[in-house]
This record gives sequence, structure tokens and C-alpha cells, in this order.
Amino acid sequence: MSINQPANPGVDGRLGPDEPVKYKGPGPATGLDSPLRKAVYKLRRDRWGMLGLAIVIVYALIALGVVLGLWGQDWSSTAGPRWAGISAEHWLGTNLIGQDIFNRALYSTRTAFEIGLVVAILSTLLGALLGALSGFYAGTWIDEIILWKKGVLDAIPFYLFVAAVAFALEGNAWAMHIAMIATFWTITARLVRGEVIKLKNLEFVEAATAIGASRMVTLFRHILPNTLHILLVQGTIVFVSAIKSEVILSFLGLGVQEGTSWGLMISESTQEVLSGQFMNFIVASTMMFILVMAFNLFSDSLQDALDPKKVH
Amino acid sequence: MNRPLLEVDNLVIEFETDRGTIRAVDGISFCVGASETLGLVGESGCGKSVTALALLGLIPSPPGRVAAGSIRLDGRELTGLSEARMRKVRGKDIAMIFQEPMSALNPVFTIASQMTRVIRRHQGLSRRQARAAAVEMLALTGIAAPLRLIDDYPHQLSGGMRQRVMIAMAMSCEPKLLIADEPTTALDVTTQAQVLEQILALQSSFNTAVILITHDLGVVAETCSRALVMYCGRLAEEGTVESLFAHPRHPYTAGLLESIPALQASRNRHLPTIAGAVPDLAELPPGCLFADRCPSARSLCREEHPRLITSGRDGRVACHFPVQSREAYRAALVQWES
Amino acid sequence: METLQYTLRKLITGLPLLFGVTLISFALMVYFGPDLTYELVGKNPTQEQIERVQSELGYDQNFLVRYLDYVREIVTLDFGQSFSTGEPVADLLARTVPVSLALTLPGFILGNLLGILLAQIAAWNRSGWLDKLIMGGAVVGMSISFLVVIIAAQVIFSSSYGLNWFPVRGWSVYSLADYLYHVAVPTLALVFVSLGYNTRFYRAVFVEEMSRDHIRTARAYGTPPIPLMLRDVLKNSLIPIITRIMFSIPMIIVSGSLLIESYFGIPGVGKATFDAITTGDQPVLKAVVSLTAVLFVLVLIINDILYKWVDPRVSLK
Ligand SMILES: Nc1ncnc2c1ncn2[C@@H]1O[C@H](COP(=O)(O)OP(=O)(O)O)[C@@H](O)[C@H]1O
Ligand code: SF4
Ligand SMILES: [Mg+2]
Repeated sequence: MSINQPANPGVDGRLGPDEPVKYKGPGPATGLDSPLRKAVYKLRRDRWGMLGLAIVIVYALIALGVVLGLWGQDWSSTAGPRWAGISAEHWLGTNLIGQDIFNRALYSTRTAFEIGLVVAILSTLLGALLGALSGFYAGTWIDEIILWKKGVLDAIPFYLFVAAVAFALEGNAWAMHIAMIATFWTITARLVRGEVIKLKNLEFVEAATAIGASRMVTLFRHILPNTLHILLVQGTIVFVSAIKSEVILSFLGLGVQEGTSWGLMISESTQEVLSGQFMNFIVASTMMFILVMAFNLFSDSLQDALDPKKVH
Repeated sequence: MNRPLLEVDNLVIEFETDRGTIRAVDGISFCVGASETLGLVGESGCGKSVTALALLGLIPSPPGRVAAGSIRLDGRELTGLSEARMRKVRGKDIAMIFQEPMSALNPVFTIASQMTRVIRRHQGLSRRQARAAAVEMLALTGIAAPLRLIDDYPHQLSGGMRQRVMIAMAMSCEPKLLIADEPTTALDVTTQAQVLEQILALQSSFNTAVILITHDLGVVAETCSRALVMYCGRLAEEGTVESLFAHPRHPYTAGLLESIPALQASRNRHLPTIAGAVPDLAELPPGCLFADRCPSARSLCREEHPRLITSGRDGRVACHFPVQSREAYRAALVQWES
Repeated sequence: METLQYTLRKLITGLPLLFGVTLISFALMVYFGPDLTYELVGKNPTQEQIERVQSELGYDQNFLVRYLDYVREIVTLDFGQSFSTGEPVADLLARTVPVSLALTLPGFILGNLLGILLAQIAAWNRSGWLDKLIMGGAVVGMSISFLVVIIAAQVIFSSSYGLNWFPVRGWSVYSLADYLYHVAVPTLALVFVSLGYNTRFYRAVFVEEMSRDHIRTARAYGTPPIPLMLRDVLKNSLIPIITRIMFSIPMIIVSGSLLIESYFGIPGVGKATFDAITTGDQPVLKAVVSLTAVLFVLVLIINDILYKWVDPRVSLK
């Protein structure tokens, strides 16, 4: 679920109650033994998923090239003519202040990965931690407090929350990231909590406790690794949500503050399309669409591979 | 017995799984005569339910399909019938009772609503007539005050009551064939007997043929005239109940009989166990599938699949070295175990 | 009676939620929100004027005192007047909420109905080409940004580069014809952007439901596809459907659709709230955030009551 869904604003902008994904996770498997290998095998046979992954890797390489200074460095120069067409100098033309669209699109790939990775990793970790504690101490005050925090975040409209965080942080470049992390963890936590409650009653966990493993060791060494399949899938879903949310937030002036992004390019294009200038719009939205689509395909097949009982 | 009511010929049912295509039912053939009671016995997972569902054209697809075979009811071929035609058969010509009375009825509709829908669909009655028919049918299944529970939801009834409702629904259109898939397995012992009696009573008053799928050889002995023993999706043995119990020919049947010491006395309604495990349907060995558990197995058994041969007057058995007598089997068993 | 008791009990358990929402909104939007002193003091203020305004705003008080004040104003429904325009907050809501509702409801309803319809078709044809087509379309739909959809819809339907049928932006609605004229493109965009998510969600619900034993029973007694899907499957799936729809309602009613309103310049409550955040218009924020939270709690309750209504096994204990 992403912010791009105001028709269901109950989940507006957050990973709200989406598909009733049921992770009927693996048994007492720890680490990288056969269930995971089986999943990898299954994943590799999934043509659409592999296509998605290949595209994601190409994008990641583009982003890496920008970080390493190989390309996409001239994104801010306004030296070109305004709204130039396609030429050898400006492969995809220029925007309304003469910036090179091709370079901006490349640079934006880096921005997208930065936002996606930061938000996906941190919010998934936060969700895993809080969900695990909540599930492990289910029914105690620890659980209650975490559930309460989740409920409160669910009851505040997403973009109002982001706007509030942005203003509270007075234009901090990370305000958007922080706001997304602070809201996107809730669904991961819900899934992890359910799984942990199931896992902690299983034999191998009781056995670990019986041989004297401390509760924290049990939780982090024996239980949490078994929620890996949830975290991987959630990570990909949050990545997509983050880069989709960026577009809307950038349009509202709450998004990317430094550099450029597809969201900023599309926002710029709102002033161009009514004058018949479509290049900025087409390039940014196509670049973004392909990446999001590829990620969605990969995410779906990852879910299929990791969750043997998922309904198709 | 003239022409049998149901003729199943070389039925093959396959499922697409992660581990390749498996044959849940591999070429079984059998007949059911009009108003006959046929028992279908076998360990869990041997393909009994899947066979029953195939008769109704209800193999879940995907992942399953009827890969080959013919199913004829009153001489009419059912495989390959259009969905619309098949729907007219379901509940009308062939009705089915399921194992789980808890979940087989729809939790959000009343008994009346579920029963009248079936009755109206197949008999074209008005709402009121259908309701009256439902009440009557419920009374016939031994429910004392049908009017009191007909407007209840399934969760308000006990397991036995729910199963009676299922029976009433099954018999409401007077089907030619009733399939009862372990109708009593989920019930407690006293209820089991009552429900079974109820099915048999209705069978004789409606002249219905019954396929009784069960775990319980005791039930077969008490109720059936003929029985099929299935193993791993194949027919192991078929025969009249008397001959099966007195002279089992297949070592599997003999084994099943051996492991229930006192059939009559025991009300332990579980399929007796035989040492060893069922082979994995995804990786079937060549030869006889029972070879790893069979006291009579010889080298031929592991090389060549035994074909179904006639045995006795109207029995069939799939075994290279059929059991000569129960005593001989016991001797072989003792030797094999040591 | 049972329902009433239940409602009261549930309202009390909703209190911590209201506490949390007011606390977070106070901390973020008021305590750490924009400093309003210089907007309210007028030109060339004296030190005294500044101090007077600051004490009116409570800036000289500590966190707790100010928070309690904030809660007191909410509890007494004393939302006051907008700082920026002086308009009473109640009037502002009465003016903007209906606009947002009129703007988003058609898209919301259509998006859900179409989603359910497509999901039923897909679930019935599970793994068939129709299912693959619908679900492939859903993934494509889910991969397109809302902003892109809006821009494309505007160019295609409202600009001289496309069909030019509808207004480029704005909301001057005085009749039904005006309404349809202005609501068409936003509705189209809303349906498009929600359809993929809805279809996927509902299909997963239906497929799960279709694997149940009682659906097998229904089929074994010859239930035709349409009654099977529309009666047996749908009625048993109502709980997740209702939940999804109910939880969308507070956001629609109170916060509208910020993006649509901003983009098309429509004076709905979403835009008004957003402006309130950027200008630090506390009275408006207080009202919107607390009303959303209250509605949220109410939705939780109504949702449970609806559960009981659709599923006889549910009891309100
Ligand atoms: N939906 C399904 N998907 C895959 N395999 C199935 C499915 N249903 C049944 N099977 C296969 O068919 C075999 C027979 O199942 P079933 O007929 O239910 O056994 P039983 O004799 O206990 O009624 C099972 O062992 C299983 O391998
Ligand atoms: S064929 Fe051989 S292994 Fe199979 S049942 Fe007969 S004797 Fe046993
Ligand atoms: Mg069975």
C-alpha cells in the first residue's frame, strides 16, 4: 500500500491493512538451511520475478554509477536552452529552466534508492524489533504500549503526520525519511508479532529456553531469524511505498530538499504539460514506473517463494 | 443386478504440486449397483475423497484434474460434461455428505436457507413448499423438532445435529447415489452409530445407492455388501464383504484385518495400523507400492507392478502372490517381522 | 442493549488512543510547530506586544500545562477561530468537509465496487487467462504514481492537447451538472489509482474464502457460479471487506484527498488542513486531528457491530 491511494485513505500513504497475506512460516528452521534454499530455487524459476530482479539490479547499477560520479552529475546546470528538444547534447531534451532531463533522471535514480533503502531497512528493522518484543511479551504492558503506539499512528492521516514532522524539524532534509520510517513500521510489526506469538510456543523454542538460554537470546537468536521471510517481503513492499510516497510529498513541498528526484521532476512537469511540454513528465514517470513495476513483480515472487501456503 | 448404476473406468486423477505432477488416483475402476452399499476403505491420503469428488466433477482445479478415465451414471458419461449440465447432476443425481460437519455448512446462512436453496434449485418448488419439504426431510433424519432448529445457524447445533442436517440436505432431492465421505469420523462414538443408522434407514426407504468412505473396517462389515480397498491411489482389492473378511487376498487387506483383534467387540473406530510408511506419491518406486510393508514380498514385486486379476467369484486383487489364507498370512508376518 | 453496553465499554477503551493522538498532534503540530508570534503581533511590535502575544499563545507555559489546555479545548469542543483567516473553525469544517466528501466519495465507491467485481471475476477464473489479465493489470495500476495518474488524466481529458472535455482545475459547483463536470476527472483518477490495490486485496479474500469446505458443499449441491460468488463467497468475505472500507472512512471524511484538492485547487478539508500545518493554524489542526481520532474510535466500534450483523457467530463480548 502506498500514499498513492487516496481513494482508500484509511490506508492513505501507509502500509495499511492490505492483502490478507498469511505468513504461515517455516518450522524450526534457523538460518540458511533447506527451506531458504528451496525458496531460492523456486524464486529462480519464477520468470516474472527474475525479470523484475534484473531490472532492479540495472537501476541499482545506475544509482551506483551516480554515487561514483560516473554519470548523471550535470543534473543542476541551467546552461542549456529552455525546453530544448532531443539532441546529441541533451539526449532527452531540457526542462523549463534548461536543465538536462537525461542527467536529472539518472541522478533521481540515486535519490530513489537512497530513500527506498533507508526507509525500507530502518522501518523494517524497527518493525521487527517492536513486533518481536510485542509478540514475545504478548499480553503484558510492553505489548500494550507498542500496540497503542501502532493504533495512534494509524489514526493520524499520513500526510498530515509527514507535514507535521517536516515542520517540527524545520525543513530538515531527513524529515521525510523520518516520517516514513515512523509510520511504515506498523504493518511489519503486526506481521512479526503474529509470527512470534506462533513461534514462541513451538517445541524448539521451548527447548532452547529449557536448556537455559536467556529470554533475550531466545528471542533474538531463535525466534527472530525465523521471521526473516516476513522481513524480506516487507522490505520490498516498503521500498516501493517509500519511492511512491516521495512523489506526492515532493509535490506538496515536503519531500526531497537537496538534489533532485522523480517526484520533483514530475512536480515540475505539472507546469509544463499544459504548455505541451511532456518530456520531463514522460521520462520521470516512465523511469519510476519501470522500477516500481519491477519491484512489485520481484516482491510478489519473493512472497510466493517464501510462503508455501500463500493462495495464488 | 442389471446394469450397474455407476461405472467408473480407469480413473486417473493428477495434482500439480511443487514437486512435480502426482497421481493421487491411478487407474481405478469399479461399479456400484442401484441401491447397493459399497465400502471404500484405505489409509488416509490414499485417494478416497479425491475419487468421490471426481464423481461430482469437483476436483479442485488448479492444481488437480481428471487426467483420464470414464465415469458413467445410468449409462450417461459424466466426464467432459459441461459445467451447466454437471450442476444438474450435483445434489440431484449424486449427493455427498462430508467428513467435517463443523465446516461443511455455510456459517452465515440458516439451515432453512441452505436447504431450501438446494430443494428449489433441483425441484423447482416455491419457497414455502421447499421449506415444508426441508422440515419433512429433517424429521426423517431423526430430528425431533425440526421447526425449532430450521432457522438456526449451523454454529448453534451440535456436531451430530449438523451431520443430520447434511444428510437431510443430501437426501432432499432423492439422489440415485449418495456418497458419504467419512460421515462419522468427526463425531463421538454414540452419535456415530445413530448417524450411520440414519443413513442406512434413509437409503432403504429411498432406494439410494451409497458409497461409504470410511476408515473403519467394522463399519464396512456392518453396513456394506461389497468393498474396495485402496492403497496409494490404486485398487488393492475388491470383493464382497464376506469374502474380504473371510479370505482376504491382498496382503494389505489381510494386514488391516489382522490388526483389529476383535472386530465386533472393538468400538475403536480407527483404521488399524500396519508397520511402515506409505511411499511418497511424488517419487513412486517401480513395482508394487506395498512392497516395503509386505510380508509376502519377493524380488518380482519390486520389479513389476502387479496387475488387477480376478479372484474368487466376483472379486479382484492386485498382487503377484495373493494370500492363501489368514493363517498363512499370519505365519508369513511372524517370519517377516523377525 | 448488548450493543449499547458494548459501545460504552469500547468508547472507554478508545480513550488511550485519543490520548495518544492528541499528545502526538500537540507535540508535533503545536509544541514543536511553527512559532506564531510574529504573524499575530502585527508590524513593528514592541517588546510588550510580543510578550503579550506569546503569553496568549501559552508560549511561556510548560509542556504539560499547554497540553492540558489543548485537551481541554478539544473536550469542550472549543476550537475557536482560524488564526489565519479568523473564520470560526466550525464554519470552516462545515464549508470544506462536504466538498471533500463530494469530491472523493464517487471515486471511493466506484473503486471499491469495481475492485470487488474484478476480484470476483478473477477469483472465479483462478489461474485462467482472465485472472492473469486482471491481476497483471492490477500490478501495472499499482505501479503508477497517483500524481502521474492525475497529470495524465488532466492532459487527456481536460487540456487542449487531449479531449478538452472537463475543466483544468477548480470547483465552482452550483448545480448537478457543475458537479458532474468538476468531479469527473478526479473520480477517474481516484478509481484508477485505487483499483489495482482493491482488486488484489479482494481477490485474495475471495480465493481464500473459496477454499473453504462450505463452498465445496455449495458446489457439490449444484450452486451456479453467480449465486455462488455473489451470495456464498461474498457474504462470507464481508468482514475483511467491511474492515477495509470502514477504516478508510475517517480519512475520507476528515482529511479528504489532499493531493487531488491541492492539484485541482479544490477547497476541501484536506487542503485546508495542509495549509493549517504550513501556517501553524492551531485551532484548525486541533479540530481536524481530534475529529479524525474520534471517528477512528467510532469506526472501530461500528466495525465490530457490523461484524455481528454479518456473521452470526460473532458476539460482542
Ligand atoms: N488440493 C490438493 N493439492 C495437491 N494434492 C492433493 C490435493 N488434494 C488431494 N491431494 C493428493 O491426493 C491424495 C489423496 O487425498 P485424499 O483423497 O484426500 O485422501 P483420503 O483417502 O484420505 O481421502 C493426497 O495424498 C494428496 O497427495
Ligand atoms: S505384489 Fe508382492 S509386494 Fe505387492 S502386495 Fe503382492 S506380494 Fe506384497
Ligand atoms: Mg478423505
